[in-house]
Amino acid sequence: MKSVTTQSEQETLVITHEDIDRAHDRARVSQARARRGFLSQTRLLWLLVGPGVLVMLGENDGPSMLSYAATGAKYGIGFFLPFVVLTFCMAVVVQEMTVRLGAATHRGHAELIFERFGPFWGWFSLIDLGIGNFLTLITEFIAIRAGLGFFGVPPWIAILVALAVLYIALMSHRYWTWERTTMAAALFNLVFIPVALMTHPSWPTVGHAFATWQPLPGFSKDTVLIVLADIGATVTPWMLFFQQSATVDKGMTTKDIRFGRFDTVLGAGLATAAALGTIIATAPLFAHQMSADNFEAAQFAQALQPIIGHFGAALFALGMVEAGIVAAITISTSSAYAFGEVTHKPHSLNLPMGEGKSFYAVLTLCAAAAAAIVLIPGLPLVYVVLLVNVVAVLAMPPALVFLFMLVNDKEIMGDLVSPLWANILSTGVVLVLTAAGVLFGISIIAPNIFAALGGK
Amino acid sequence: MTNKDDANELRADQSWVLSSLEHDQLVKAKKHKIPRRRLKGPELLVLWGLRIYLLFMMAVVSYQVWIAAR
Repeated sequence: MKSVTTQSEQETLVITHEDIDRAHDRARVSQARARRGFLSQTRLLWLLVGPGVLVMLGENDGPSMLSYAATGAKYGIGFFLPFVVLTFCMAVVVQEMTVRLGAATHRGHAELIFERFGPFWGWFSLIDLGIGNFLTLITEFIAIRAGLGFFGVPPWIAILVALAVLYIALMSHRYWTWERTTMAAALFNLVFIPVALMTHPSWPTVGHAFATWQPLPGFSKDTVLIVLADIGATVTPWMLFFQQSATVDKGMTTKDIRFGRFDTVLGAGLATAAALGTIIATAPLFAHQMSADNFEAAQFAQALQPIIGHFGAALFALGMVEAGIVAAITISTSSAYAFGEVTHKPHSLNLPMGEGKSFYAVLTLCAAAAAAIVLIPGLPLVYVVLLVNVVAVLAMPPALVFLFMLVNDKEIMGDLVSPLWANILSTGVVLVLTAAGVLFGISIIAPNIFAALGGK
Repeated sequence: MTNKDDANELRADQSWVLSSLEHDQLVKAKKHKIPRRRLKGPELLVLWGLRIYLLFMMAVVSYQVWIAAR
């Protein structure tokens, strides 16, 4: 930490290591922005993409890919293809608000909730985030263990490999390097597309599904559960906290919002392609009437092996490993950001280890604790995998209302408050999520009412 | 390097950082708290309603896990 006393101001101005690293990143952005021409604009785009791609591909995590795989295996190619596109559109609507909030206020999401609404509501939202993140982290390590299990890797080595990758990503103590390393790993999520192509899907059937949303699934408890799981695979509370904090840590300003939006749409496009690839890849299991209930990642790969060969099955298993590792990195980072924001401890990936002990400690401890739980023999973790996306959907409406209130707060947003159309869309997202949660509740606790509504 | 050289280098760092970052991006500036906003009645109603909804739904999920585990 450096400090300088300016005689004119008679005050001590402290410039931290974090400020200097961020200033380096911003100087490169300013240089690219000052130049004209296609190459400079492309470079500017390259410098400013990151949080959106990471959050969207990070959300294509272990349980999400398992949900998509289960969707394809249970329902084949039909209603769920356009439905998944719709859920990613909802994710873009929601995540765009976090870009604006981060760029306008330069504060993280947890920090804004605590300071603007007080610790009472702040703690509620932080507890929601903490529980959701920890359950999700457990499922990431389950996916990693199962994916590497396909290759005969023992569970403890699989977990150690995942923790080592997480540590390597952090070692640079630079946001920029961390972001690029994690993005490179996240792009491996697209491996599900070649796997889908290996199954030789019927493209007219795919086209028909997009055009008509048919065949429709039956209205049953299982369908409600899979609908909720697929929604939870695209919109979850950690995404709000992560993208806003990453936008702040990257140093994005109001001038960069346009690029932040592009980044979010780009990430959603890539993640949608991977999600659709997964559904299409496992659709042959539906055609072969294979029961995939309670399948883990490795079992999907094994079931697909007769159809797409060992190489294709290995790619599928590796995709699951990647999904788990990238999400473990981004989700544990979102927990560490939120903890630092509410405790006012330093919280940035630009911090050297000495200055960011609590930040890095929370990040690694969250991941290590979740990893350790996965190694305990005999725990019924399959229920966690099945329900973690459902829990995410249920926790989303309260999180979205805080986001909605913050992004419409003129005192902190100024002219960047949400326009009417954005408010209508985000209100629609809250209503859809709440209705889906209520329907799920009815299907469990009031089967008679569910049957009266036409459910089976 | 003398103390005077050190001070000059730090001042150069300072002016470069200040020109590259917006003022409220500085770590020091973030220590200033954003003023609390008083929540209005309808807002509190929505927040409490959703809090009760979430607690109730978590109980439903726990019940489902319990049923499945049996």
